[in-house]
Amino acid sequence: MPLANLKGRAAWIFAEENFDVDLIVGVKNIKVVDLAELAGLAMQSYDPDFARSIRRGDLIIGGVNFGYGHPHYPPLRALRHLGIGGIVAESFSPGFWRGEISMGTPLAACPGILGIVQRWDELEVDWQRGEVRNLTRPAARALEPLAAADRAMLEAGGLVPYLKRDLQPAAT
Amino acid sequence: MGYTLAEKVLARVSGNPGVCAGDEVMARPDFVVVYDFPGYTDVIFRQMKDDFGIHRLPDPGRYAVFIDHMVPVATPKEEELHILTRTWCAEQNVPLYERRGIGHQVAAELGYATPGAFVVHFDGHISQLGAFGTLAIGLRRNILEAFVRERVSLKVPQTTRINLHGTLPVGVMARDVFHHIVRVLGPASCRFQVMEVGGPGLASISLEGRQVICGLAMFTGAVAAVCNPDELSLAYTRGRARMALDVVVSDADARYAAVHDIDISALEPVIVLPPNPANTRDLSEHIGTEVHAGYLGSCASGRLEDLRIAAQILKGRRVKDGFSLHVIPTSQDIMSKAAAEGLISTLVEAGAFTSSPSCDYCFGRIATMTAGQKAVSTGTLNVPGRMGSPESQIFLMSAASVAAAAIEGRIADPRRYL
Repeated sequence: MPLANLKGRAAWIFAEENFDVDLIVGVKNIKVVDLAELAGLAMQSYDPDFARSIRRGDLIIGGVNFGYGHPHYPPLRALRHLGIGGIVAESFSPGFWRGEISMGTPLAACPGILGIVQRWDELEVDWQRGEVRNLTRPAARALEPLAAADRAMLEAGGLVPYLKRDLQPAAT
Repeated sequence: MGYTLAEKVLARVSGNPGVCAGDEVMARPDFVVVYDFPGYTDVIFRQMKDDFGIHRLPDPGRYAVFIDHMVPVATPKEEELHILTRTWCAEQNVPLYERRGIGHQVAAELGYATPGAFVVHFDGHISQLGAFGTLAIGLRRNILEAFVRERVSLKVPQTTRINLHGTLPVGVMARDVFHHIVRVLGPASCRFQVMEVGGPGLASISLEGRQVICGLAMFTGAVAAVCNPDELSLAYTRGRARMALDVVVSDADARYAAVHDIDISALEPVIVLPPNPANTRDLSEHIGTEVHAGYLGSCASGRLEDLRIAAQILKGRRVKDGFSLHVIPTSQDIMSKAAAEGLISTLVEAGAFTSSPSCDYCFGRIATMTAGQKAVSTGTLNVPGRMGSPESQIFLMSAASVAAAAIEGRIADPRRYL
């Protein structure tokens, strides 16, 4: 099954380089486990109305080396719970990339994205054509292709279902 | 065109005659190394059985488990995790190394740092085995793949080559070299790549120093780091290496993503300011800043050369009243050698607190800071909350600089004590 395109609005733009995702929930909340509590904390220091403003499938836009530092999982758990459908960034830090792909979070590396998007623009991530299109103010930028294993992991919905699917023939 | 060390290692372990950066391969790790940690090992052990029906690990000798976090335990729950780990290792016949020191260091001592071997872990600081010519990659949660099948999926990384030139000045350490690399090349300079460190200047950097540089490579964006084996590293790995492999080095005409030249002769001590490891500055700009605690240890310090220089600086002097200095040797082997050299007594007489090896000082599980406090540290990381309160601050620096700060209770230039 091919990977479904992402379609949503740019719910927030983190233009800064080397963005530390822990700031999404705040470092002091990084050990919070409860999903509802985490979701209530997410983006509070950026936009207190964030949770009310977004629609399911909306996207987060990031800058260069998004996810640098020591990324923990709770911030993206919170964003996914709120309905964020994925992240499009100029580029990603490898640790963050690996961790979130394994969680099944769609990540699209798209050099030049910051130059063509403003907050609340409607975007489409087209995996087949390998581009991100801005539907609000027409422009497009090429995606960096996903590695086959990363694509398969996103198609399966994360690491465990991917491995289960891959291992099934051998197990029977 | 020739091949890089990383390409050669991944060709062998993926059963291909030759692979190039960008190729996607299924690679069989020579060793799978982890430490027990909640959310990782306990989950993996459970998922193996519940999700994949695996009750016996084939080839358990390929795996190694370390107990180095939560050492010693402080709660019954932590001890339960260790019991689970001990039980699992015994059932599976997997080697377990408990309380021997920080696993990334002990793995080198025990020969998992076999030149030319491919090692995976969940923790990216395993890259430090690259000091011995081992390709070691941190996979985060994808480490599960290495527990449920023989091979892991991997895109062969490009390599960025860094040639060091010159000789390290007195009072400037490998730790300063690494943070200087981040400063001049940038925190994304080796993104998704292998950072290969070499050049004539490498000769003035000890094996311990190379472990430091390779171990912190993730903060350049690298997924691994290597030094081509030389006489110094081969003398260490000879007799320790757990596999008989041909030693591989990058070819002279290997294809690099980039080649950089860095002169280390004129390097000055550096400091890394909060809030992240991309923030290298000159130590000299921050002399006099009041600090409350010091940590000398972690997988990125706490080795003999670090303890020696700290002892040299602190000998006959005193840690400032009210300043908490923790000096934690990185492994039992290092601690024992340091004791035999008299370093431990020098440090203790100066007022340092010391203990057996543990990872716990590095992430604030113990020696925890409260809001408003500032630490100088050789730990791996300075993100907010890493050593306690998110409102405390961590300044990363070399072991020498930590020792100097401990005397003054302020950030200080170590060279005035050498």
